[in-house]
Amino acid sequence: MTVKVNGRSLEATPGETVESLLSRLGLLARYCLVERNGEPVERQAFAQVRIDDGDRLVVARPTAGG
Amino acid sequence: MEDTFVVAGRELRSRLLTGTGKYSSFDVMREAVLASGCELVTVAVRRIDLDAPGESIVDYLPDEVMLLPNTAGCATAEEAVRVARLARAGGLPDWVKLEVIPDQRYLLPDPVETLRAASLLVEDGFTVLPYVLPDPVLAKKLEEVGCAAVMPLAAPIGSGRGLKLRHTIEIMVEQAEVPIVVDAGLGAPSHAAACLELGADAVLVNTAIAKAADPVEMARAFRLAVEAGRAARLAGLIEELETASPSSPVTGLV
Repeated sequence: MTVKVNGRSLEATPGETVESLLSRLGLLARYCLVERNGEPVERQAFAQVRIDDGDRLVVARPTAGG
Repeated sequence: MEDTFVVAGRELRSRLLTGTGKYSSFDVMREAVLASGCELVTVAVRRIDLDAPGESIVDYLPDEVMLLPNTAGCATAEEAVRVARLARAGGLPDWVKLEVIPDQRYLLPDPVETLRAASLLVEDGFTVLPYVLPDPVLAKKLEEVGCAAVMPLAAPIGSGRGLKLRHTIEIMVEQAEVPIVVDAGLGAPSHAAACLELGADAVLVNTAIAKAADPVEMARAFRLAVEAGRAARLAGLIEELETASPSSPVTGLV
């Protein structure tokens, strides 16, 4: 199945969790900000939330700013 | 008794908040944050570049500082609420420096959208610190919807022009029941000292430190200036006079 992460199409395994996908992409961190189909995903729920075909994910993090 | 100020129940000893933008490196940023003695630092929220994730700023920030996510880049209330919720869900504090800025030339905040976003975020449980033009009426409205502090700009972001909007900030300080944190436009430690002297509770500084020739030394200078300005405020400044008042005796001249 295919999901979009930050606008890019990526292959994902059916039933894969947000945590697994982020881990595979090397993006898991202390502060990991994820939106799935327009809704924020709680950090504590990454291991439970399963992604579906066609999901749109935004992965963000804190960065330098004033 | 220690002189502190309180935002949403959190007691802060340092009256200097710093931003983390515009530094030449994360190493320099870390050293400057340490030299500033600040307890709150602002961070922005941005998508990760999948091709070049690079390092995380969080790995460079001292553990003892609290992160204050901002909503920089948001032009509407909905965008700001979205960013704040994303940040909180991802493990950042439920505090937000609310910026709603539609204008890219002067980076002046939209008061109507800011008030609307503040109301939505407070209802959703956030501790909201809105960035605003110094408008005492708006500040009272932001207080009324439950903002924990109000952050008026001294001059446009990054301009270094100093306390250009002094008079309305003075009115805000006089009327405020929540902390007033002067944010943006300060270029020199003397500007920060002036803010504390007029009664602001704190200042937030980014560009003036980050873009100084020696950011770490400038961070220290701002820390000292903020301490000096606060001490002067507590000590009580003299009234200004139109004419001279001699400091030496006017009698017994030899």
